[in-house]
Amino acid sequence: MRRRDFLTSSLAAATSLAAPAIARGAEARVLRFVPQANLPNLDPVWGTQYVVRNASLLVFDTLFGLDASLTPRPQMCESFETSSDGLTWRFRLRPGLTFHDGTRVLARDATASLGRWMARDTMGQLIRARLDAMAASDDRTFEIRLKTPFPKLLFALAKGNPNLPAIMPERIAQTDPFKQISEFIGSGPMTFQKDEWVPGSRAVFARFNGYAARDEPGNWMAGGKRIYFDRVEWQIIPDAATAAAALQSGEVDWWETPLPDLVPLLRQNEDVRVDIADPLGNVGILRMNHLYPPFNDVRLRRALQMVVNQPDYMRAIVGNDDALWKPMPSFITPGTPLYTEAGGEALSGPRDFAAAKKLLAEAGYGGEKVVMLVATDLIITKGQGDVSADVMAKAGFNVDYVATDWGTVGARRAKKDPPSQGGWNMFHTWLAGVDCINPAPNIAIHTTGPKAWFGWPDNPAIEAMIGDWYAAPDLASEKQQIEKINRASMEFVTFIPTGFFYGYQAWRRGVEGIVKAPFPVFWDVKKA
Amino acid sequence: MGTYFLRRVLATIPVMAIVALFVFSLLYIAPGDPAAVIAGDQASPEQIAHIRASLGLDRPFIVRFGDWLWHVVHGDLGTSIFTNLPVSHMIAQRIEPTLSLMIVTLILSLVIAIPMGVIAAWTQGKWQDRLIMVFAVLGFSTPVFVIGYVLAFVFALQLRWLPVQGFVPIEQGFWPFLRTLVLPAFTLGGIYIALIARITRASMLDVLSQDYVRTARAKGLGERPVLFVHALKNAAVPIVTVVGLGVALLIGGAVVTESVFAIPGLGRLTVDAILRRDYPVIQGVVLLFSFVYVLVNLVIDLLYTVFDPRIRY
Repeated sequence: MRRRDFLTSSLAAATSLAAPAIARGAEARVLRFVPQANLPNLDPVWGTQYVVRNASLLVFDTLFGLDASLTPRPQMCESFETSSDGLTWRFRLRPGLTFHDGTRVLARDATASLGRWMARDTMGQLIRARLDAMAASDDRTFEIRLKTPFPKLLFALAKGNPNLPAIMPERIAQTDPFKQISEFIGSGPMTFQKDEWVPGSRAVFARFNGYAARDEPGNWMAGGKRIYFDRVEWQIIPDAATAAAALQSGEVDWWETPLPDLVPLLRQNEDVRVDIADPLGNVGILRMNHLYPPFNDVRLRRALQMVVNQPDYMRAIVGNDDALWKPMPSFITPGTPLYTEAGGEALSGPRDFAAAKKLLAEAGYGGEKVVMLVATDLIITKGQGDVSADVMAKAGFNVDYVATDWGTVGARRAKKDPPSQGGWNMFHTWLAGVDCINPAPNIAIHTTGPKAWFGWPDNPAIEAMIGDWYAAPDLASEKQQIEKINRASMEFVTFIPTGFFYGYQAWRRGVEGIVKAPFPVFWDVKKA
Repeated sequence: MGTYFLRRVLATIPVMAIVALFVFSLLYIAPGDPAAVIAGDQASPEQIAHIRASLGLDRPFIVRFGDWLWHVVHGDLGTSIFTNLPVSHMIAQRIEPTLSLMIVTLILSLVIAIPMGVIAAWTQGKWQDRLIMVFAVLGFSTPVFVIGYVLAFVFALQLRWLPVQGFVPIEQGFWPFLRTLVLPAFTLGGIYIALIARITRASMLDVLSQDYVRTARAKGLGERPVLFVHALKNAAVPIVTVVGLGVALLIGGAVVTESVFAIPGLGRLTVDAILRRDYPVIQGVVLLFSFVYVLVNLVIDLLYTVFDPRIRY
């Protein structure tokens, strides 16, 4: 063999041996993630979908963050103090906080961001209604002065559900809250690669080397958010079977929401791990329109409540995997500090069709149509709709099953017109369990009439109880108030919880550090 | 020919105008509201109304249509309600995967279907003919997504020869590009291959019974030149027509195929936009598809003159 040929072939052999190692190194620095849905935008205030919240948590940081015990922990804040009357809150930012454009995070960025958030968020609006003034005292300190105390202020600033009180530069935060921001600059652990963003297909995040992580370990939205990847690539795969195949073949590392039907298949693959995604789960909801007959009469709402059998609803959603659901005779997420079953016998006792029929007759129900909007493009709403149609027919309701898509339900349920003129009588949906841990994030439990969530239940007594809960000084008092609210809401049948259910997440063997949380936690995740 | 071409190009203008009006009207009367989708599950009706106003969706039909048309005429397809990105930018991002998928499918289909049709006609009534027709019936009757899942299961998941999903742009290498398109192209091509093979067979059978074919054989020409030089060229006009009409099939099939194989193309963009009621995107994409369809038909008409010298415009 000639010397040159020998060198060439040796070099080729060496390169071919080295290539896999280089590729493996590069592979370990990129996490390929399949999110629950397409990322349509990245405005944490304007965008209300959970997927927007999840992406925003990578790019933006918050002043406080909820940890796994549902306690608000300082995040961007170094310290805070409250006046003895509870009206003045003073916050001091941590030193060294930097936005992705290289500018320092200042107190005025925080006040502008909170101002925009307060215009859109339910809890933010409660604060705004009490707000006397909010201003920066210096570059790192700002003050919120209230007209009346709001003990849940820290919880509101730490909230993990949309709309997110994320901090962005003042110039961006000055965008109209009802219009989308066009620059996605935060001070979170990753930067958004807008140039690589293909909505509906791909979103890429790169590690922000200027991120000032807290010293403590990451804990949900709180703690040091250390990222061990150069890039996190979100691959939007709309088809569940394709996503399952991609995970099995190793084309992706982590799938946020595998369908329960596909989980047995994934479990057969020794390279795939499956576990519950969110310990706070989800709450199924049967929502009625309180404005029009028949459900403007509490007796008719109670008649329906009598025949709702939660296990049927849950099995319609998650199939036969009984580990994935729990009965929930409550309006509060099971397993959380305020959970109560006070008044829950209305949902947990034996189902009584005879009593329901009797109540229908007493109320003078004459077989008027019940317009039920069913989004058949979502398994959760379709399953609940089918079960309701069945039990309501058995109980004697005349159900008009309107099969449509979620986009149409979303628009139609906002209409206050009579059901015969384009309105509605009932629909099904679900809330994340994190939204039902107390009345603050749970919009469905409020009974403020015209200002309430779709269905517009009106009950000043329940609202007064919720007001007392907001003012409750400690956990024991909160629990007392929640018991009252739960009992009263069961009697009033504000809505009907159809049960509590979990979802799965799945990932490749070799990916470590994945935790159960209401959102995908990317910090502290590593890949072998 | 030049006059004809110009006339046809000018004729696309009223066609596109009618399509624009039709699409806009359809979306206007369709149920659903992007403001409700944007506002989210916890929004109040007031917030939804506020968002609707900020998007200009509360304006009268004629004002909205006029505004949109004015911008379209000036080359501006508008801005996506959800992503805040220009529709033209979103289409540009998605055009390469869809175009690649269609071209590869088209080439694959022609390469497979035409010889199949020719052989079926040549062996009419024999087992080869019946076998090919069985394949054609299967291609017609099997839904696109079923073919996709079966191919992905066998060739991606079991054999690991090809990727399950995704798309690699051609600038990242021809082989990686082709690897991501093989399964989708076979999936999308199933019905197209069946259609072209059947038409080729029928058209060839018609031509093979003509006198000039008998003459060609009588003067001692081999079967291959008879089939592929004399017969096929004269059978080409109906085949070309079907190939053109089949572009509509490809566009429809691309929506499903792109979803099954997670290809970031125009089909998925359309579905996503429809589900969210992203009106500017739907209007832009439908307008583009209509234009492509009109253009393809024009090209087909011009190709007639190549295959049949008797046709003159």
